[in-house]
Amino acid sequence: MDDTVSLPHKDRFFELRFESIGGLGAHAAGQILATAAVLRMGLNGAHFSSYGSEKKGSLIKSFIRLGAADQPIRTSAPVESPDVVVVFHGALLSHPATVAGLRANGTLIFTGPPGEIPDGLARLPRTATVIRIDAQRIAAEEKSRPNAVLTGTLAEAVALFDTDTLLQALSDEFARKRPEAVASNEAAFRRGTAEFEILPDVGRVEDDLPIIRPDPFWGYQTAPPGGIILNTGSTAWNDLTTSRTGWLPVLDIEKCIHCGMCDMACPDLCLVWTAEGNQPVPTAVKLSGIDYRYCKGCMRCIETCPTGAMTREAETPGLVAQLNKPLFPQLVD
Amino acid sequence: MTPNGETVVEAKLETGGSVKRPVGQGLIRQRADFRNGNEAAALAARDIGFHVMGYFPITPSTEVAETLSEMQAEGAHDIVMVPGDGEHGAAGICYGAALGGGRVLNVTSSQGLLYALEQMPVQAGTRVPMVLNVATRTISGPLDIRGDHSDLYFVLNTGWIILLARDPQAVYDLNFAAVRIGEHKDVRLPVLVAYDGFFTSHQKRRLEIFDDADAVRAFIGPPGAPVTALDPTRPVTFGPYMNDPDLINNKMQLTEAMEAAKRVIPEVLAELATLSGRVYPVVDAYRMEDAEAAVVLLNSAAETAKEVADRLRAEGRRVGVVSLNSLRPFPGREIRELFKNVRAALVGDRSDSYGAGNGNLALEIRAALQQDAENHTLILNRIYGLGGRDFYDADAEQFFAEVLEAAAQGSVDTPFAYHGAYAGDPEKKPPAGLPAIAAEEVSRGMAKVTQDEKSGRLKVELEPLWAMTAVPGRVAPGHGGCPGCGIFPVLHQAYSVLEGDLVVLFQTGCAMVVTTAYPRTSHRITYIHNLFQNGAATMSGLVEMYLERMRRGELPGSPDITFMMVTGDGGMDIGMGPALGAANRNHRMIILEYDNQGYMNTGAQLSYATPMGHRTSTSEVGEAKTGKAFHHKDTPQIFAACHLPYVFTASEGYPEDFMRKVAKAQWYAKRRGLVYGKVLSFCPLNWRTTDDAAEDVLQAAIDSCFFPLYEVEKGHTTLTYDPDAVGRRRPVADWLGLMGKTRHLLGPDNAERLEAIENEADRRWRRLKIMHGHEGL
Repeated sequence: MDDTVSLPHKDRFFELRFESIGGLGAHAAGQILATAAVLRMGLNGAHFSSYGSEKKGSLIKSFIRLGAADQPIRTSAPVESPDVVVVFHGALLSHPATVAGLRANGTLIFTGPPGEIPDGLARLPRTATVIRIDAQRIAAEEKSRPNAVLTGTLAEAVALFDTDTLLQALSDEFARKRPEAVASNEAAFRRGTAEFEILPDVGRVEDDLPIIRPDPFWGYQTAPPGGIILNTGSTAWNDLTTSRTGWLPVLDIEKCIHCGMCDMACPDLCLVWTAEGNQPVPTAVKLSGIDYRYCKGCMRCIETCPTGAMTREAETPGLVAQLNKPLFPQLVD
Repeated sequence: MTPNGETVVEAKLETGGSVKRPVGQGLIRQRADFRNGNEAAALAARDIGFHVMGYFPITPSTEVAETLSEMQAEGAHDIVMVPGDGEHGAAGICYGAALGGGRVLNVTSSQGLLYALEQMPVQAGTRVPMVLNVATRTISGPLDIRGDHSDLYFVLNTGWIILLARDPQAVYDLNFAAVRIGEHKDVRLPVLVAYDGFFTSHQKRRLEIFDDADAVRAFIGPPGAPVTALDPTRPVTFGPYMNDPDLINNKMQLTEAMEAAKRVIPEVLAELATLSGRVYPVVDAYRMEDAEAAVVLLNSAAETAKEVADRLRAEGRRVGVVSLNSLRPFPGREIRELFKNVRAALVGDRSDSYGAGNGNLALEIRAALQQDAENHTLILNRIYGLGGRDFYDADAEQFFAEVLEAAAQGSVDTPFAYHGAYAGDPEKKPPAGLPAIAAEEVSRGMAKVTQDEKSGRLKVELEPLWAMTAVPGRVAPGHGGCPGCGIFPVLHQAYSVLEGDLVVLFQTGCAMVVTTAYPRTSHRITYIHNLFQNGAATMSGLVEMYLERMRRGELPGSPDITFMMVTGDGGMDIGMGPALGAANRNHRMIILEYDNQGYMNTGAQLSYATPMGHRTSTSEVGEAKTGKAFHHKDTPQIFAACHLPYVFTASEGYPEDFMRKVAKAQWYAKRRGLVYGKVLSFCPLNWRTTDDAAEDVLQAAIDSCFFPLYEVEKGHTTLTYDPDAVGRRRPVADWLGLMGKTRHLLGPDNAERLEAIENEADRRWRRLKIMHGHEGL
């Protein structure tokens, strides 16, 4: 047990929040980190995640609360004023809730390609440490997941954690569950410790960021009784952009024979068709594009296309804006 | 602190005396671990060494069975784990097993507890001990998977002992106590250990687990049932037919057993404390020494309130927190003792007893105090945290503020209120969503159905797939399904040919959860959810009401409605009884099953449709176990045996074949009666494939004859695709090699199992082929 570990604040917990979508390993990373803190670093701790049913691609938050060994942990409430926020998916940075409550001297670690500073970082505290790492790319190159990379960055960037201890914890976990993946995850972790950049002078906010606890849409005086929903098809207002993990299908209209097979395989119902001579059986229907608001990037359209008209492309900034074909331009903004 | 700097705790024993020991060094050897409540229950189960576990997965308690399955695959325990067909079945399995005299475990939550409820008084009334862990969760409806105590409160009158575990450590410890308490000769009652769903079930905390198997065994002792159903030398009649005047005496005995438990529980907990050093008084009184105001809460919220109590104490406020470790028997005497000098108490109930004007806990505290004529404690009751609404420090602060005010002024302004409900903003209007689908928009003749005059069977002609893209979708995009999910192609293909007005009922499952996350819905037609025990019966009722109201001329415009129930394969386990009831009654409706071979909505537990050997989270693979132990359920043949007008199988990978069958299904459901169809539906997450592997995997399942495409029309079986005939037959191994959940079956250790799977697939296929070729089958 390492007796030198000491927490920065005697009077409160040291708290971390991971912001992710299901499938990127945020829950697993939180578990490895918190388990190491408790069983290898001699701290007291709690770890849990907020997610509903077991779906890939939907938003999840993972919480870690650390205290001194003799400090009891009693609250089971989510972490609202984190010392550290780790963002597993770059697109989440555009939601204010992602960084809500970050402490003035806290740390934000996010995944993103080098280059331009993404929008939304100005809403961070001026005094926060902001760290970027291209976890998505490194994970792909190392045949690992972003969680191994980000755990490496976290280990290196947050003084509380000892890099070797966390690496050992990660390796032991994989050795137990998937021994064949130990080497690739170790490599991803190591690159996470080395390849991050600290972005200076991005936050503009003085003091801790406010906590966000949004009210539900309906309340007991306004909701239709019995939980019924009277507005049909209202999930059309949802934006599922964050469900994609860096890739999207692109239609080459020149190669498309408008056979309709992709439409039978598309789970996201996001292909845009234009009918000619509509009633009741049209004389022709043409595929005109994809509404990326709904596309989760599964690529089943590519798999099913007989002519190679659909291809898998990297989702570079601005690409969606350029290609997007809205399904309901009059109804959904 | 000891001279070595170790923290020392002093454990007071209710039987007198106390135990002193450094943390981490109990009287028996223990080791530190970092586990959540579910894992703690599983570890306790392993260490207790139950004989049999009957269970059915339900969030958030499922992880107990999953953890035990994982341990079992590694050879870490030998508990026989029996997956029930539903919680009612699981409770039956447990009852039967317990009658056999060994130790029995079950785990459930929410609807599962309610579905098992009927069995609970049976078990208590016939005095058969077992242990049931409940990760408490809100009961439906509307369906909510998060934690409150609305399920637990239904158990209060069943005759079960109820222990409450406020954190994962308590879950671990109280399971050991539960075995001993329930089996005590003066008690002989089943015991329930309740902990908060998600707040405790899914939150990892530091805890200590026993590391001395001999000492644990010595504490637990042998099961020692006085009579069992497995001793032919001593035949016993269990469960006689007993009316008055006898039954009241049986219940008197049960009440006396509860009274005995009031004595036994502290004894057992004290004895356990001598092993663990951890003390559980029946009433957990925190800083109540001279408290003038108290907050009373059950389970995890009480722990949050303690943090706040510490802060208020530091400010000189005389406050404390009361929580119960035993809810049944109810510790009335201890409560009266504790509240002698308390001026006001706020009782928080994480469930309402609608219309009673108080939650159950408040009622019982009031009733307990009312027996003390000297007591003048003012009681406030707050209903809080329903549906898993978080309980923050600020909530506890408000509770203390309200109860301190009452204590100060000597009166209560608001005896009963909801805490944390939101009135709403009248200015807020929901966006319109996509317009509802009118019958004429979806009646485009995409599938033309004609009846063959000679055979009486149907023929279907489809428009080309491109033409179908013009049919507006009855389900809107923006749903929360996983990338690559096969359910939406299934729905989309079916909806492309189903004509006219359609009313759907989705049983609980992925399709239901991802299309109706409140306050939004993907459905553009009328949609109903009911729990998957009962969807088919619900649809039967609606169909009959439709027919009757049509007959009475009460439905404006006389809509020509088709009724369809959509279910997963899991729903066809737990809901099999009502589905067969609907089939036997032959109601005019379609049952469409998307079969993704497991309970995917809750994290991929095995269903009876899961094929043998497949890895799921309750049929793990390891040195000691290789996936699911028994063959997949042949649901289409079960429905065919109901002599329905039409039964079919299909795959989302063969859209034309599927859509022809759907068109026939609608024809029969409108004219002849019930139709059942099973559709193989891709699940990349839990089949462990890439998101875009559907076509290859589905094709291999069909070409290997594991999943034959066929129909049974008016009792006549027809294969609609024959891999043998087109020279595409492949070994089952070709299919199993494509999925992460089955790849282990190709290893040399599993050659026998692989052969068994191949043989069973082939046997069922040959049987179908014979039926296909036979005029009368």
